Amino acid sequence: MPNFLVLLLGEIKRLQRYNIMTASVVVALLWIGVLYLTEIPDITFIFPMLIYVDSTSMAILLVGVTIFFEKQEGSLHTLLVTPINKKDYLLNKSVVTVATSIVTLVILYLYAAIFKEIDMSFTGLLGAVILVSLFHSLVGFLLTYRSRDFTALLINMMKYMFIFMIPTLLEYIRIIQHDLVEMILYLAPTKAAIILLYAAAGETELWEIIYALTYLGVGSIVLFMVVLKKFEQFAVQESGV
Amino acid sequence: MFQVKDVTYRYPKNREDTIKGITFDIRQGEIFGLLGPSGVGKSTTQKIMVKLLSGYQGEIYYRGKELKGYDKEYYQEIGVGFEVPVHFSKLTAEENINFFRKLYRNQANTDAMMKRLGIFDARNKKVDQFSKGMKIRLNFVRAVLNNPAVLFLDEPTIGLDPSNARILKTMIKEYRDYGGTVLLSTHLMNDVDELCDRVAFMVDGQIAEIDTPQNLKLKHGEKKVEVEYNEHDAGDRPSKRASFELETINRNEEFFKLMRTKKIITMHSKETTLDDIFIKITGVEKHA
Ligand SMILES: Nc1ncnc2c1ncn2[C@@H]1O[C@H](COP(=O)(O)OP(=O)(O)OP(=O)(O)O)[C@@H](O)[C@H]1O
Ligand SMILES: [Mg+2]
Repeated sequence: MPNFLVLLLGEIKRLQRYNIMTASVVVALLWIGVLYLTEIPDITFIFPMLIYVDSTSMAILLVGVTIFFEKQEGSLHTLLVTPINKKDYLLNKSVVTVATSIVTLVILYLYAAIFKEIDMSFTGLLGAVILVSLFHSLVGFLLTYRSRDFTALLINMMKYMFIFMIPTLLEYIRIIQHDLVEMILYLAPTKAAIILLYAAAGETELWEIIYALTYLGVGSIVLFMVVLKKFEQFAVQESGV
Repeated sequence: MFQVKDVTYRYPKNREDTIKGITFDIRQGEIFGLLGPSGVGKSTTQKIMVKLLSGYQGEIYYRGKELKGYDKEYYQEIGVGFEVPVHFSKLTAEENINFFRKLYRNQANTDAMMKRLGIFDARNKKVDQFSKGMKIRLNFVRAVLNNPAVLFLDEPTIGLDPSNARILKTMIKEYRDYGGTVLLSTHLMNDVDELCDRVAFMVDGQIAEIDTPQNLKLKHGEKKVEVEYNEHDAGDRPSKRASFELETINRNEEFFKLMRTKKIITMHSKETTLDDIFIKITGVEKHA
């Protein structure tokens, strides 16, 4: 079996054993709760918002949690002296994170399609979730590298939320209305994320879609290279006993 | 197997070098001991040699090729036992071993090893329910599950009860006898006496001395007779001690006088142990 597959199966098994799987199902149920409480039958407006929050913040958390578990119990040391490529190791966590986001999407979409009305293309949503979650898993690595422990990671994630996620969301749903703010937010990855998710409703302009795809696509490649490069340094730090 | 030439290393955040120029070589099929007081840099040296720490100065050759020239393939050939816990704590011992085993081309018979080390029956327990000693034994199994050509062991017997320590030491010797090469860091002189073919004493980030344990004993050792005695009418006054060179004791009048006139309480012949040598080498050099 190729090492990538061994790692992947191992990662999935550990998600179960460390109750991370359970936690993400609970979060999905929470989102369903929100949908349930929404009085309007057509949830095309609110649905992408939930997916947006999930595939950004949960992606960051998932990567951080697994790395901190490995750091704490020392298994990261062991992984570092096996023939695993760091590229495989990192990609693996991204793949698992994206998969988890997809599972949440499927659960929510099924609920929405059965019990509510939703007018969005599933394939469009799927594509968007893959890119958004991939990008944010990589953000998760960078934030983890800069955090001493899990609490520090939470704080860093809060910062990310307040600087990028929340303003983007508020502007998108027109609670903030300001031309300059709107312009500036095009620099935020979360803007690209929200555009892409809402694009599945079919009313987004082409140039915006192209902008979002390019931002997240190229961004993911660049981020991955940075994450790969900085991993060594992080590993040295980690090997201090 | 390894040639280490004038290696220095500084941790990125430190001001001073931790390793200050060490040179030694490890031959194929030997157990090479790395000794020295706590904090001297034994574990650091090991981490450099297993490529966990990069950015060292100097040269390290493995099978004639600079270590920096090896990629992850290097790990197919070596086994690393850490001094700290290193397992997935919520997986069972068996799941841990199986996961790591699949990453290698060579796969050892881990069941047999677990049986020998007495952890086979607990293989379906989660590792976080293992006792300290069980984790250490599992550590060893994990380190050798790829039948490595070189084995790095950092304090492998610390925390083991005497009988398990014995089994582990026998396994290390067997590994060597089948051609394996071992780098062992420790400060337990018992382990050194029993296991090591050659040892290097580290003092203050440098190597103070490299030799076989036998030669070290010959060089630094002296044989003595220690006598504990008292006056015949001493009552409960405390006893006194005297020490005599064993070599010249048959000509030592003072010794005979003591034998004739005093009440002898105990008498022991004493050889210099590696412990004494350890203290002598590491202590003396430190204050020099
Ligand atoms: N990650 C790190 N960053 C900075 N300094 C470190 C790091 N790890 C170890 N050191 C320092 O390097 C020195 C050598 O540590 P090392 O762990 O190699 O000692 P050791 O000989 O293995 O000791 P022991 O017998 O206690 O295991 C110590 O002074 C330690 O404080
Ligand atoms: Mg050590």
